[in-house]
This record gives sequence, C-alpha cells and structure tokens, in this order.
Amino acid sequence: MASATQHRIKKRALKTAHFLGLFLAMSLICIPGLWVVLNSFRPTIEIMAKPPVWMPQSLSLDHYRAMFGGAGEGGIPVMTYFRNSLIISITSTVIALLVGMAGGYAFARYSFKAKGMMFVALMASRAVPGVALSLPLFIIFGRTGIIDTHFGLILVYVAMNVPFTIWLIDGFFRQVPKELAEAAEIDGCTRWQAFWKVEFPVARSGIASAGIFAFLTSWNEYALASQLTRSTTSKTMPVGLLDFTSQFTLNWGGMCALAVLMIIPALLLTFVVQKHLIAGLTFGGVKG
Amino acid sequence: MFRAKLPPWLVLLLPAFIIILAVVAIPLILSLYSSFTPYHLTRPDTLWKWTGSFNYIKAASDANFWKAFGRTVLLLTIALNTEMLLGLGLALMVSKVTRGQRALRTAMMFPMMFSPILVGFQFKFIFNDNVGLVNNALQSLGLTDVAIPWLVDGNLAMFAIIFAEVWTSTSVFAILILAGLFAIPQDPLEAAKVDGCTPWQSFRFVTLPFLMPFIYIAMAIRSLDVARAYDIVQVMTNGGPARRTELLWTLIGRTGYVDARMGYANAMGYIAILMSIGFTIYFFLKLQTARRELGMGEM
Amino acid sequence: MAQVQLKNVVKKYGALGVVHGVNLDIAEGEFVVLVGPSGCGKSTTLRMVAGLEDITGGDIVIGDRVVNDLPPRERNLAMVFQNYALYPHMTVRENLGFSLKIAKKSQPEIDRAVDEAANILSLTPLLDRKPGALSGGQRQRVAMGRAIVRQPEVFLFDEPLSNLDAKLRTQMRVEIKKLHQRVGSTVIYVTHDQIEAMTLADRIVIMRDGHIVQVGTPLQVFENPVNTFVATFIGSPPMNLLDGTVQAGQVVLADGTTIPLPPGLHIADGRRVQFGVRADNIMPEGHALPPTAHMAFVDMAVTLTEPLGTETLLYATLAGTEIQAKMLNPRPVSPGETMRFGVALDKCHIFDADTGLNLRG
Repeated sequence: MASATQHRIKKRALKTAHFLGLFLAMSLICIPGLWVVLNSFRPTIEIMAKPPVWMPQSLSLDHYRAMFGGAGEGGIPVMTYFRNSLIISITSTVIALLVGMAGGYAFARYSFKAKGMMFVALMASRAVPGVALSLPLFIIFGRTGIIDTHFGLILVYVAMNVPFTIWLIDGFFRQVPKELAEAAEIDGCTRWQAFWKVEFPVARSGIASAGIFAFLTSWNEYALASQLTRSTTSKTMPVGLLDFTSQFTLNWGGMCALAVLMIIPALLLTFVVQKHLIAGLTFGGVKG
Repeated sequence: MFRAKLPPWLVLLLPAFIIILAVVAIPLILSLYSSFTPYHLTRPDTLWKWTGSFNYIKAASDANFWKAFGRTVLLLTIALNTEMLLGLGLALMVSKVTRGQRALRTAMMFPMMFSPILVGFQFKFIFNDNVGLVNNALQSLGLTDVAIPWLVDGNLAMFAIIFAEVWTSTSVFAILILAGLFAIPQDPLEAAKVDGCTPWQSFRFVTLPFLMPFIYIAMAIRSLDVARAYDIVQVMTNGGPARRTELLWTLIGRTGYVDARMGYANAMGYIAILMSIGFTIYFFLKLQTARRELGMGEM
Repeated sequence: MAQVQLKNVVKKYGALGVVHGVNLDIAEGEFVVLVGPSGCGKSTTLRMVAGLEDITGGDIVIGDRVVNDLPPRERNLAMVFQNYALYPHMTVRENLGFSLKIAKKSQPEIDRAVDEAANILSLTPLLDRKPGALSGGQRQRVAMGRAIVRQPEVFLFDEPLSNLDAKLRTQMRVEIKKLHQRVGSTVIYVTHDQIEAMTLADRIVIMRDGHIVQVGTPLQVFENPVNTFVATFIGSPPMNLLDGTVQAGQVVLADGTTIPLPPGLHIADGRRVQFGVRADNIMPEGHALPPTAHMAFVDMAVTLTEPLGTETLLYATLAGTEIQAKMLNPRPVSPGETMRFGVALDKCHIFDADTGLNLRG
C-alpha cells in the first residue's frame, strides 16, 4: 500500500512539472509575438516610458491610421508594399508549384541515372545563402534591367522555392500507389488525364503544404529583396519595415503596426491548412 | 521530332533546371569569376582584371574573416543543437497533453510565420537596454537596477542573437519531432515495456532511434536555410558593436554593398556557400542512413 | 513458470465496458487459448495480463503476486505481438538480446541465450540482418525467439500468426506447439482462428462481448457446445442449425419434415428450438455412415459440391435452410441430384430458439 501512495505522489509531481514546463515554454513562444501586437496599439510615449508602463493606459489605432493614411506627408506607402508583396508572393508560389509538381512527379515516378546526385544538387542550390547570391544577382539584374521589378523578384523566389517544393511533392506522389494511375489508364485515361484525375487529387494536400511553405518564404524573404528592390514599384513589406528606421531613431509603434499587417495573412493561411502543413513535412521527409 | 527524343523525366525536370540555372548557377559562375578579380562596384573596368587567387589569400590571412567564420560555425552549432533539444522537450511535453493539444500545436507554430527581419526588430526591441521588455521586467522585479547592455556587450549580444534564432526555429524541430512521435508504431514500445524497459530505457532505445530520421529532416530543412540568421543579425547588431557579433554573412554583405568591394566579398561568399552546401549534404546523407536503418525505403 | 489467475477482471473505457468480470484459473505450464470474434475482449484481457492496459476492477495474480499495479517490466513475462513488434533499427541478434541487455546480463550470458534461441528457431544464419530484410515467417520466428530468450514465467501470444499465409501458419503452429512442449512455460494465446485454438490449446476459453462463454478442452467445447454461438464458432464447417418446433418427441421443421429428438432428451411439446448437426454427422446413404444405432433419414437436393479429395462437402437445402454435409469415399454428384442423408442423432444438439442455450445442459 505504501508503494501505491508513493506512486500517486510521484505521479502528481510529474503532472505538475509537466504543466509548469508547458506553461513556461508556451509563454516564451507567445509573449514576444503578442508584445509586438500589443505595442502596435499603444502610443509611442507609453512604449518608451521610463519607468515602464505595464498596464496599458490607452489603446488606440493611431499607428494604423498613420500607416494607412500618411502616404502624403512623408509617410510610408504601406498599401503599395502590401500589394507588391501579395503579387510577388502569389505569382511566385503558383509558378513554383507548377514547376515543382513536374519535378516532383519526375523524381517520384521515373528512374534515371544519377537521380540521387541530381536530387542532392537541387537541394544544395537552395542552401546557397541569400547574401552570397544577392551580390552577383544584383550585378546581373542591374545589367539586364530587371532590377527593381516584380518580375525579377518573382524569378528569384521561384528558384528559391522549387527545390523544397520538389522535395515535398515528390514525397507525396510516392504515397500515391503507382497502380492507381495504371488502373486509370486501363480504364481509358491518357497518362495526362490519369495524372490530373487520379494522382493529383490524392496528392493535393501535399501540394497545398508545399504551397504554404513557398508562400511564407516569399512573403517573409528579406536578404535578396533588400538588394533587388529599390523603390515603391517593387519593395515588399519586409523591406518596408526598414522605412520605419532612420539614422538614430526607430518608430517602434509604426513598425509594430506593419508587422501585424505582415503576420495576419501568414497566420490566416497557416491556420487554414495547419494539418496539411504537418502532414506535408512528415510525408515529404520520412517516407520520401 | 526533337521533343519526342527527350525522356519524359527530363522534360518534367527541365523547367526547374532552367530556372535554377538562371537564378542560381549562372550568378554563381559570375561570382566565382569575379572572386578572382579586384571587382569594385564603382569601377566596372576592374571586372576584367585577373588577379588569380589574390582575394582568397587575402581572406585566408584576414583575422577578421576567420573570427567571423569561427563565430558563424559556433552560432550554428549552438543554435541548431539548442533548437533540437528544446524542440524535443517541447514535442514530448505536447504529446503528453490530452486536451487542447490542437490549440497548443497551433500556438507552437506561431514563430514560424514571422519574417526573420521582423524577428530581428522584435528582439532588438525586446533586448533594448533602455526600453526593452527584458530589462524593464528585470528592473521591475528588482533583480537588477542597472540597464544590462544586451546588444552592446559581445557575449550578451551573441546570446541575444542565439535567443532570437532559437525562438524562431525551435518550432520547426518541435513540429517535426511531434509528427515523429505520433508516427511511432506502438507495438515496439509495448514490446519494450514487456521486455523490461523502464520509461527512460524505452525512450532511449526505442523512441529516440525512431525519432532520428525526423530530427535529421528538421536539420536538413533548417540547413537549407541557415542563412536566414543573417536577417536577424543584420537588424539586431549588424555584426557590431565593433565586429563583436560579426558573422560571415554580415561581413560579406558589408564588404560587398557598403565598401563596394565585390570581388573580395564574392571570394568570402564562396566560402560561405561551400559551408552551407556542406551542412546540407551532410544532413541529407544522415537522413538517408537513418531512414535505411529503420527500413523506411530508399530515397 | 507460474500459474495465472484472473479474478473478476473488469475493463472499462469511460462508460464503455469491454471486459465484464472475467474469472479464469490457468495452471502452471498450461497452454490456454482465448478465442472469439474480433471485439470480444480477448486481446484486452491479454494486454491486462501483460500490464499494457490498466485494469478497472478485479485482480490479476501471476505466481503468487497480485500484479494489478505492477508495470509490465516487473511481471516477468514475454509477449509475441501480431505485427511482430521487432525493433527495426536493431539486427536480429540485438533484437533477441535486448531484454537481457536491459536486465544488465553479462555479454557472454546474452550471447549464449541468443545463440540457443537462434538455434531452436533456425535463425542462426539471419542473426546479423535487420528486420526489414526478413520475410514474414522469419520475422515471426524472431519475435518468438525474443520471447524465448527471456525464459519468462508466462508467454503471451497476441494473434501471432494472423499476418502469415496459410501454409506458413500451419508450419508455425507446429513450431509453437513443439516450443511449448520443450520449455513447458505457461502460455496464454489469443486468436480469432478456431483451428489454431483447437490444435494448440490444452484448454480453450471462448469469449464474446467481454464475457467468457465456455471454457474446456478442445474436444469438450467441440462435442458439448453450451450454446449456438460456440456451436457455430468452433468446428469447420460450422454446425448446421435448423429452426423447428418440438412435437411428440420430434422436431418439426418449417416445411413439415420431422426429425426425432436425440436420445435421452425430453422436451415439452410446442417449444421452439434449433436442431444442430455438424456436417460430419449428416452423410449421404451408402457412403460410410457414422456407426450409431440412432439414425434418422432425410431427403435433400444437393445444390453445390466442394470436392476436397478424401471427402466431398455437399451443400443441400432442408426446409429452406442451407445445410452442409460430408460425403466420405466420394463419388461425383451433380447439382440438383436428390440424395438420402443419414443423421447421427446421438451427436446432435437441441438449442433453445430464444436463449440459444444447449438443452442437453
């Protein structure tokens, strides 16, 4: 009986430790982000107050109002940045998915010489650091005149996303039994129809997750965008964040407001396809 | 006629190859070439002057370069290992939760959505010695009355950078390891229990080997993008103060864009590229071996 | 070696009861098979013995210890799982030696035990392979070897043969039986396959819906099923059941055909019953009828034949019910042919139509 009580005490202690650990971890994960959100609603004086103001005295939409309305008076053309980001991210994601689907299908369904080598080479191309790549790209884009255009950045992001997209989609096509497409062909489909009517729908969730990753990468990328965009015609939001800094000061409140604007689409998108996201990573990686 | 001769796999892979050729391979060839010249952004004619391995020798004998190199490797080692351990711990804790697990998983993914540049600003703000959240909290709690110079002191700044980096990337590990935990077949775990394993032994001998491929996937995914840390560092300290947090990437960026010494920057860039590719290939090979060990099929 | 006792063991998941008060005494060295359709609670019962499931109520005793709250590792038993549960990252040798390594046995000791087990199961040439490189039957043997190596007090088998093809299953069945004869440990074996149960068991425990329906030796449960469930579950083909009403010592079937009650049974007129007869006890006239004095005869039209070599299985219809009958020393029979069948009444059973209980008691 004594051991049973001991057992119970130990169990309760473990449970408490588990709860505390989880609570601490989750706080660390959430607080920095929530702090940004909170500060976007607080007046600058309060953010900078010394000693600090812990309980927000007044919440306002001032930073948002300034952000959306101030374009005339030295303000920052946030809506233009938002539009640029949206156009560039969506276009590059769609193209990367199409190219990645073709490539992933090739890796999953055909066997050819040096397949493993080609795969690793493809992945290695993604590992080239943005800074190192931005130097020569800066020169080439300058010469060809596609610097500071949507097209230039879209091209770069497609190239950045294709390897990872291929990896994920390859893994998903491998999950689709070959017999499925063969059965469709026997049932009278062409290879092309078999792909679109049978294999594509089955692998759809993998393709969705690859799409999210591609979108998030393009949406958040900074190192290349900061060099390859120059003006409001192509600047994206991550680059736009820097507009809130000047030599010596930083407009924290305004920056936080833009940050929230950046996070919301990413957040919405991620919530919608959360399940696919995890499945995508796992299947693509482990079974692939 | 020509199209018909190409094997279908090549036709399918061609678009990918062409784009990567245009955006990655050709620029890399150009930068490789320019790394053998004294190319200066403001003097285009310098591109045609061949100086051989001059830039590489200069980099190799530059103490600042080697310090940055060492610091980069150190940062990556500490950050990746910390992320792995914390991710493992977090995944284990979350996997034991029975109610509200979906919400926890969603919250866990929160930091993944933040742009690295935003993470940089966010932590620059949080670690600000004057109005930052950390110092405010420490002072309000009475733990200290001085303003700790988080981003000014070299070691503290490295800590702050690693903290920011770990904050964004731990969830990648946690999510993948969590997926791994759910994918573990229950049978061997039960067999281990019957075979006499304590919970720790079950974890050590059965769970962990099963998780290894997932850990390597996370490592491989992260290694594809280690240079994301550049954005964070650039915003938080930009290698400063006085090069105390200088990493390869910030050094390259400044040499290329601020000093306009493209040739030299590209030479150093090549070394950074080789390092990144080395990381990636290493983890992909590890992943393959781990998979083969568990009989999960070939790549 | 140890005896195992289950005393009024109950398992509930929330409000849902899975096992309702199971009582069972298993003697030292006995081979007991738990059998029943899927969902009958047999696997849950086994897993409670193993300690992989908590028990909601009652006691489980292994040897002379109540093990209710002990973790599996302190129960000194070994289990063979349906999906083998081999550790995929270890070689066969490491798999076999794992439990001894955990128990901190010395390396020479482990090697000796592993070699011996490998020898018994002819696994020696496979010792350095990983499970991924083995066939189903080989994996099955490794799983058994892993259990042998421990020299446990009790062996637990959870449907160990259900993933093998028919031929391998027969072969492994023999090996398991030989193994039991050699090591003499107590064995609890779960299966849904009644042939496995019949061939392996010292005693069969038939379960349904979380209850034990009948416990007995294979012959006991075959010859004296307590109800229609056991009668149709045990034996192949299943016992034929014909609906009828008792009238003056005879069972009157739906179409008016009458069959006398088995000798020694007295049942009140008007009671609705089911008349049960196995294919072995209903045979066409002229083909080695079972030797008995209590023979009744019926005429039936054959609808289908299944020649099996030494015998042919005949499908025929009697009073609207399909009947299976056996023909020994078979001759070709064409469908539609009407034959006269002898029914060995002393081997037949009468069940209550409502409760399904065997009225022989």
